[in-house]
Amino acid sequence: MAARAERGIGPRPGPMRTALHALGLILVLLFAVFPFYWMVTTSLKEAQDALAIPPVWLFEPTLEHYESALFRNNVLDALLNSLFVAICTTAASIALGTPAAYALARFEFRGKRDLWFWFITNRMVSPIVLALPFFLIANTLGLINTKLALILIYITFNLPIVVWICTDQFRGVPRDLEEAARLEGVKRFQIFWRIALPLAMPGVAVSAIFSFIFSWNELLYALVLTRSATRTAPVTATSFMSGYELPWGEIMATGTLIVLPVIVFALVVSRQLVRGLTMGAVR
Amino acid sequence: MRKLLLASAALAAITAGREAGAWTLEEAAAPYSGTTINALFLDRPGYRAAMALLPEFEEATGINVEIEILPYENSREYQVLEFTGGGDLDVVLIDLVWIGEFADAGWVVPLEQFYEDEALADPELNLEGFFPLLLDAFGTWDGVIYGFPFDNYSGVLFYNRCMLEEAGFDAPPATWDEVLNTYGPALTDAASDRYAFALQSMRGETQSADSFMRMLWPFGGSLLDENFRSNLLSPESQAGLQFRQDLMAYMPPGIVSYDHAEAVNALAQGQVAMITEWSSFYGTLVDPSASTIIDCLAVAPEPSGPAGRLPALGGFSLGVNSQSSEEEQAAAYLFIQWATSEAIARDYVEAGGVSGRMAIYQEQDIRDKYAYVDPMVESWQAGVPEFRPRFPEWPAISEIVSEFGTRMMLGEVSIEEGAREIGTRMEAILEQAGYYGGDKPLLQ
Amino acid sequence: MSAGRGQGRLALPFLAPAVVVLLAIGIVPLGYAFYNSFTRFNLARPNDPQLFIWFDNYLTLLGDSSFHDALLRTLLFLVMVLPFQLALGLGIALMLHRPGLRLLRTLTRLSLVIPMATTYVVVGLIGRLMFNTEFGVVNDLIGALGIRPVEWLGDPVFAFIALGVMDVWQWTPFCALVFVAGLTMVPYEIEEAARLETKRWWRILAHVQLPYLLPGLTALLILRTADVLKMFDAIQTMTRGGPGTATELISVYIQRHGFKILDQGMASAQAIVLLILTIVLARLYIRLVYREVA
Repeated sequence: MAARAERGIGPRPGPMRTALHALGLILVLLFAVFPFYWMVTTSLKEAQDALAIPPVWLFEPTLEHYESALFRNNVLDALLNSLFVAICTTAASIALGTPAAYALARFEFRGKRDLWFWFITNRMVSPIVLALPFFLIANTLGLINTKLALILIYITFNLPIVVWICTDQFRGVPRDLEEAARLEGVKRFQIFWRIALPLAMPGVAVSAIFSFIFSWNELLYALVLTRSATRTAPVTATSFMSGYELPWGEIMATGTLIVLPVIVFALVVSRQLVRGLTMGAVR
Repeated sequence: MRKLLLASAALAAITAGREAGAWTLEEAAAPYSGTTINALFLDRPGYRAAMALLPEFEEATGINVEIEILPYENSREYQVLEFTGGGDLDVVLIDLVWIGEFADAGWVVPLEQFYEDEALADPELNLEGFFPLLLDAFGTWDGVIYGFPFDNYSGVLFYNRCMLEEAGFDAPPATWDEVLNTYGPALTDAASDRYAFALQSMRGETQSADSFMRMLWPFGGSLLDENFRSNLLSPESQAGLQFRQDLMAYMPPGIVSYDHAEAVNALAQGQVAMITEWSSFYGTLVDPSASTIIDCLAVAPEPSGPAGRLPALGGFSLGVNSQSSEEEQAAAYLFIQWATSEAIARDYVEAGGVSGRMAIYQEQDIRDKYAYVDPMVESWQAGVPEFRPRFPEWPAISEIVSEFGTRMMLGEVSIEEGAREIGTRMEAILEQAGYYGGDKPLLQ
Repeated sequence: MSAGRGQGRLALPFLAPAVVVLLAIGIVPLGYAFYNSFTRFNLARPNDPQLFIWFDNYLTLLGDSSFHDALLRTLLFLVMVLPFQLALGLGIALMLHRPGLRLLRTLTRLSLVIPMATTYVVVGLIGRLMFNTEFGVVNDLIGALGIRPVEWLGDPVFAFIALGVMDVWQWTPFCALVFVAGLTMVPYEIEEAARLETKRWWRILAHVQLPYLLPGLTALLILRTADVLKMFDAIQTMTRGGPGTATELISVYIQRHGFKILDQGMASAQAIVLLILTIVLARLYIRLVYREVA
């Protein structure tokens, strides 16, 4: 159906084709937004409306679920923890990842492809493998219940993404500029910092966005490594799955509170998303 | 305001009636004033009730109680990681099926050392005041008491009196046989989405405890025989499992995805006429914001089977972490003793908890006010503590039971095949644990 | 390409910090897990010694039908969702790339951010709510089309599909954006020239745009495969692997062994097998699909 709407890429689309194009876009829009819309409206329903058979579309909204989410379930603390961890992880991953990506894009050396692939491999390791060993190690180092433990382990799956996205971006930066600077005796690191990095900004921005989202959303490590003081937002969201009662209003209010900051952040920076996602490989 | 009243009433209960010089909580706690202890709670009514009463304990003792709230599904894993990592949990939450594991591993302390210590033990502790079944099942392993019953459940039959009356029944079913052969057909009308019964059967402890084991015992079946071999292929066990399969004709389709919440909601919304659920759901079913059948709600003991009435048994006791410091252990014990005491039983029940103390349920006003009380008390008069085996291997076996139990219900494996598969895998676990070597006592 | 072979010394200071940090944080626990996979190690039995048992755990895995089933189910899930995500993603990308309807295109592009940014745990919760047989909105909507209510989460096949729908919802936008990025890489003149020659969109796609889409496609194959093999959060909140074992993908299965049964020896062995499988698949994708843009 989406494909049919596409028919007729060309200089002067007829009205029929434009209508199909519009229809396709609207369907995508609805599909993308609907579950989110349903979550938000459920969070505003009284318990009886939320569980009504069949579901109700019009109802008297209430904010009581937000009140109990914020004041009874400490969602706010969890959000702040998540924010801190996500920002630190993102900063660390960018700081470590962009120079590495630059080196992979610019220099020729043996084993380059393997090194690149090794970086990517780290993204594939399932948290289930590392969670317990990391727990035991963190435990001997006294890092349990600290945000540092989370930040460190989150680097393992965000650094690869940064390297992947940014390597490709650096390769798109014209060499002539750098060559010219080099002839003038500018140091390598200065070239990276002042010339290459600004030009690769879309990639850096995109990898930062994804680092942020991935860290914000991570559950398994957080379940194992955190206690009440450092609990992150996704862990809080699972705390309703007591198998006992499902207060859908509160659950969806919490979900909305968790998701909204990331969506707002992602919307603000969404222009960068397209330019940065070229995802090439290392030759 | 209500909270404040409760608090002051309970405070009065603590302080009143004690002669000067006798044991008081304040004095017993004096050496530990300022100590902080950590406890794990669930997000369930009994825990919310205890938290409502908590300020008054903290005020009286100067002991600070930090509470961590987790979903049931994560709470065992959380505690094991705490024990492994030497974390700062002091008050251990013991589900009756974890007690063997926690005790065998040495993670919880025998409470004897506290309740025999005159400085700590409340002279009114009255261990005999707990329902013997509860203290035995939730708190005792191999003859040693590790925990006091705190959050106590019995399976009871919740039913929609109006729906039953409409179909011509003026009493709830007394036997499982009636549920299947009389009430089932009369109360089910699939075309209009009405069903006689719902049995929460979701994969997980819900499947193994609430669904699978519930149907074994009343029919004379059991998981294990006296030699710890699988008893699932016995005629009685097979009959129980077959009964469950037959009864599905009168349950909503998709019952295998029903957790407690869905089953309770199905009753609360008038979709099903009867459920067998934990007594503590009473509060949800009489909550006007969640239930449309408050005026029709009635409670009875679970139906009985050929082997008698053997309703589901579940609950939690509170114990003391063996790795905590001496002060923390003493403070934790004082908290546990207080939270499960006869003195606060009334406040606890009125705040939504279910006490494990017998005395409170003698009170006429409590029996009148809470319809679940009489059926629950009746259920606790007799029962099998090993309704689910409580040995350390249960969590692993429960996973197997719930995997094949749900697949049986879905018809992916036959009852016999499923029972055989569970048996084989279960015996492999018990074999590895050394039960068949002859040296290890067969405790469950 | 300028420069010769040996720029290793120049690259070293740029690479060293990332490599050292990844080694320190990633490899040590991985090595530990590898060691554990050769032992009998149950966290809930602190009094039992950690016995070295060589390949026993791996041998048990070979004969464990539940493990095989979970693995097959995971691959089936991948084969089910991936074509949808790629095809829909490409279709959306082409719509977003097509000229005209500027405002609507911008709105649609913005809306794609929502599924992508939604926390996986919350995706599962939304799924459990929307696909509820009684009060779920999905049955309400298909009811409006005259379709009878479906037992979504209680039926093995439908639960699998419902989980797939949520996964397609969450990840199609990511695929779309990667493809859009690829499409914008096509030099303007080349695309214009091609447009003058043919009006058939699929010819332009096949002859002009495709080479620019291949790197993104490979990346998507690798990332999506790795993610499906790791998929846990949304399942945990939506179906918990049920009904029966219908939605128990491999990571849920391993998590059950590692953190419910607490058998860390066996769970480590399972996870190592999974890791090897992921790497093999990734290598395969790179070999089969990757082409450099000339």
